[in-house]
Amino acid sequence: MERDIILKEIGKILIPLVQLFGIYVIINGHLSPGGGFSGGTILGTSLIIMHLIYGENFIKNLYSKKKLILIISISLIFYTLIKGYSFLSTELNLPHPPIGNPGNILSSGFILPLNIAVGLLVASIFYVIFSIFIRDEV
Amino acid sequence: MINYIPILNILILILFSFIIIIVKNNKKVKFISLASNIFVFFLSIILARKVLTQNIITLSLGDPNNLLGIEFLISKPEAVIGLIFTFVMVMILWYSNFYLEKEVSENRISFFYLLINILLASLLGVIYTNDLFNSYVFIEISTLSACGIIILKDKKENIKATIKYLIMSTIGSGLVLMAIAYIYSITGHLNISNIHEIIITNYQFHRNAVLIILGLFTVGLGIKSAVFPLHSWLPDAHSSAPTPASAVLSALVIKVYVFMLIKILFRMFSYEIVNSFIIMDIILLLGSMGMIFGSIMAIMQKELKRMVAYSSVAQMGYIVFGIGLGTISGTAIAIYHIIGHAVTKSSLFLISGLLIDKTGSKKIEDLKGIGKEMPFTLGLFTLGAFSMVGIPILPGFISKWYLSLTCIEVGRVPLILIILASSLLNVLYYFPIVINGYFGNDNLEGKIYKAKKIPFINLLPIILLVISMVVIGGMSYNLIGLFNI
Repeated sequence: MERDIILKEIGKILIPLVQLFGIYVIINGHLSPGGGFSGGTILGTSLIIMHLIYGENFIKNLYSKKKLILIISISLIFYTLIKGYSFLSTELNLPHPPIGNPGNILSSGFILPLNIAVGLLVASIFYVIFSIFIRDEV
Repeated sequence: MINYIPILNILILILFSFIIIIVKNNKKVKFISLASNIFVFFLSIILARKVLTQNIITLSLGDPNNLLGIEFLISKPEAVIGLIFTFVMVMILWYSNFYLEKEVSENRISFFYLLINILLASLLGVIYTNDLFNSYVFIEISTLSACGIIILKDKKENIKATIKYLIMSTIGSGLVLMAIAYIYSITGHLNISNIHEIIITNYQFHRNAVLIILGLFTVGLGIKSAVFPLHSWLPDAHSSAPTPASAVLSALVIKVYVFMLIKILFRMFSYEIVNSFIIMDIILLLGSMGMIFGSIMAIMQKELKRMVAYSSVAQMGYIVFGIGLGTISGTAIAIYHIIGHAVTKSSLFLISGLLIDKTGSKKIEDLKGIGKEMPFTLGLFTLGAFSMVGIPILPGFISKWYLSLTCIEVGRVPLILIILASSLLNVLYYFPIVINGYFGNDNLEGKIYKAKKIPFINLLPIILLVISMVVIGGMSYNLIGLFNI
């Protein structure tokens, strides 16, 4: 189905802004309200909007099923490893990342990488749920 | 390092479950899943050895001073149950490595192993944890992954059974969450040991609230563990699931919630508090009803797997009966029965899967004369049935015997009649299969000896389960001595 040209042009301007805002919420999660889940939903919404405006083939070329599953599983594995390390390291006195100055982006130890992993996971899962409802497969 | 085995077990299982999604080849998936489970089994052996010599291990997560109360506590019952559950899971995975293709389509096999790994991780989490909210989270994870392994078969009856199970167990976990909220508002803690310290001195001032909490926990966890009037999801779900999945569901999943109930009743509250409420009599009544009616409904079934599933309802009745007696020895027997039944029922389910696969029929009446065609397989089934009925040495007999002794000890002698009636009813549905399988001229006519033989290597996991069943029966005196909560 061919969409209107106005929609497509507006989409070209707005979708990068939506994605930028999503990335901002993820990366600033340990400093301000937000975090992995909320930022991930914003990113996932941008994928859904892309699907609705430019058709499913456009997004299939960007994120195939294989790529989505890879992103999901790698971010889960990453989360499990980091979180497991942080559980064990407090007891075993293993080295910790520095906590840094409060207010800097690179601070508060493990929370930033964990937020990024959660954000990628939630964004992909949102698109997966949407596409299961739309056409019964990913 | 041994102290960190509980968290390592859960982490390893979850980590490998996510690696399984990436791997495309089904053979590699099976290998990874089996290897991770065997590794966890060995870790559980080390943990059990340590706990049996050292008594108790506590591990507070992320907070050395344990101000948050997020804690794992492994005493002897937890260690032994964790060990037996991982053992049963390894055997079931071994069996499913050559069986699963018969029931589940090729492209869904990796999902089975993914869900099984997450399921075992969450079950171990519920067993090990000493924190109410964490146990709630683990309960939710286990419910969702259990629904997943039922629906893998993608038939009409599976979808119906899964939706039924999902709705009922969501109600159950809702009630559990509500009970946790109540107890948190009274005590201000989520750690079971901390709650115990506060509630033991203050419960007289909150008698109604404590009664409500007890009721919510009993009904909520009772739905999930299929205690008699709340069992209606179990026969559909357990009989329609793929056979390895039904073995997991019947042997492990429903047991964990009842163990959680034991921890809440006797470790969080105490024998003294719980016995001063009417709740123990109700639990005892539910247990006795389950023992009788579960058996009666099993007699009426015409399909083999449905019959075995209803037998689970009856056996859950024994466990709840043991809890309802409200003494230390009653609880010890309930925990012993959890272990004995886990081993027995998993082997019975796995064998009935083989019988159904070879005869091509789910009906019990088509199994006539099967003893001549598959003598050894039916022999293993017979041993499992003996344990269910209560032939000496096997675990079923031991728990019935000690339950009767405990009934005499607390001065409730008439209850022995219920145990006796339930065993006789068990005979009525297990023995016809065995007798019609081995004996009768009409039944054996036209059957060829060992015509449907199963390779020995495929029977090995079941043989190991049956051997461990006999060992658990033989070691009963030592085992029951360990289970003091």
